[in-house]
Amino acid sequence: MNPLELTLGIMTAVGGFVDISELVFAAKAGSQFGYALIWVFALATVGIIVFSEMSGRVAAVAKQPVFNLMRHRLGLKLGLLTLAASVVSTLITCAAEIGGVALILNYLTGAPYVLMAIAMTGFFIASIWVLPFKWIERTYGLLGLFMIIFATALVAINPPWSQFAGGFVPQVPKGLSTKELLTFGYFTVAIISAVMFPYEVYFYSSGGIEEQWGPKDMLTNRLTSIIGMGLGSTLAIAILANSAQLFGPANVDPEIPGSAALQAAIPFGKWGLILALLGMFFAVAGAAIETCMANAYSIAQFFGWIWGRHKKPWEAPRFTLTWLVLLMLSLVIVLTGVDVMVLVEFAVLFSILVLPLTYLPLLLLAGDKKYMGEHVNGLFANALGWLYFAVITAAAVAALPLFILTSGGNG
Amino acid sequence: MLRAACILALLLAGCSKGPEADLQYIQQARSAAAEWALVNEQASQGKLTDTYVASMHQWLRDEIRSSSMTLTDPDTRYGLEIHALLQQPDDAVPEELRAHADKLKQFEDDLESA
Repeated sequence: MNPLELTLGIMTAVGGFVDISELVFAAKAGSQFGYALIWVFALATVGIIVFSEMSGRVAAVAKQPVFNLMRHRLGLKLGLLTLAASVVSTLITCAAEIGGVALILNYLTGAPYVLMAIAMTGFFIASIWVLPFKWIERTYGLLGLFMIIFATALVAINPPWSQFAGGFVPQVPKGLSTKELLTFGYFTVAIISAVMFPYEVYFYSSGGIEEQWGPKDMLTNRLTSIIGMGLGSTLAIAILANSAQLFGPANVDPEIPGSAALQAAIPFGKWGLILALLGMFFAVAGAAIETCMANAYSIAQFFGWIWGRHKKPWEAPRFTLTWLVLLMLSLVIVLTGVDVMVLVEFAVLFSILVLPLTYLPLLLLAGDKKYMGEHVNGLFANALGWLYFAVITAAAVAALPLFILTSGGNG
Repeated sequence: MLRAACILALLLAGCSKGPEADLQYIQQARSAAAEWALVNEQASQGKLTDTYVASMHQWLRDEIRSSSMTLTDPDTRYGLEIHALLQQPDDAVPEELRAHADKLKQFEDDLESA
């Protein structure tokens, strides 16, 4: 197997885990609750590995991307409702990523935020139009690996490793006030949502079809899910732990994406800062493309249009027009002047509400022997799938009340 | 049940006003002040680029200004403290910025325990 084949997973994960929402949520979680939320990242990581592996397997065997399944399994009305909610949530996420990229460029170059948002949207259009799918995933997936600087920074600042390891044990910190408990609950739900963003499986399963995966690619699919998502999770946990060590004691609750870059500057100076900003730039840019493409895939698959970047743009005109319009709409949202962090909060909230409806059809089809044959879910995969379905359903029920009660985690 | 929980949450959220409603803005301003101090400290050690420092100053100042403008009563003691923080120059001494952050933290703690 060519190691470059893993780039789909790396792009999905680096652009999914370590997108703009993760940069802020992981850093805020660490500064407010120390290492106590690491286990939520670990828990949700296993969940996204389970569902992305399942979606890749379904794509390879049944040749069905997620939104095809949704229409058939949920029926037209519920399918349409899920599509609408998912498009709104992913559109807001895409806008947040474009705003995030513009912010990072502002930190790097000092160029005006609005100008950078416009320029980067143009750059994304050119990237998607010109680059074949494989090159999109390779470019953004591999350059996003600059983010490894955050894991290196964690080693360099040498946190109390026993406390760090203790964070992997499920826990609720003792002695929290009611308000702090609610905030802890909100962060738990928000991290599950941000790690298991539905667009990741839309993109991943559609990517598998773009790459013409078949039953022979089961190993690639499994390794891609585990290594890609595992890597993304490691980076997000590193950001959380750096924040627990550097920001918490300094009374900093990071509210802007630029704060995360300080984590690499403190141990490594200017070069650490520049590498961190470059890693953040490529990861968030990858996420912007991923969200836009995931949305276009969803709409095209739901309505049965010709889709895919393996075709020339004019060979799939409705698909092409859809991603162009979605990118422009995202830019318009950014240009209204709405705060990127407000967009992030709403994206996370909307996503968790859509999660159960996204994963249910997938779970049903992956367990259906008629479609999947010998590649049907085994007992273990089925048990994990239903367990995580219960987790995300509980999180979806709790999300809105917790969001309101904690003012989006702000107390 | 979900609807009932949402209604309860909305009612509870709608009940907070005055200093209680200001708490999150005090927290935001305190955090921005502490981060401003951290940025200036690292900059003085030559660990940050000038562009990054200038950009962070702008965003942090915007954050503090936005917190100040959202307060229900800007003439409270914490409102005046945030106003005083905004008067600091971009390259203010980290200790001075930390002193503002500490005072705001004290207001936070007092409001939380009230």
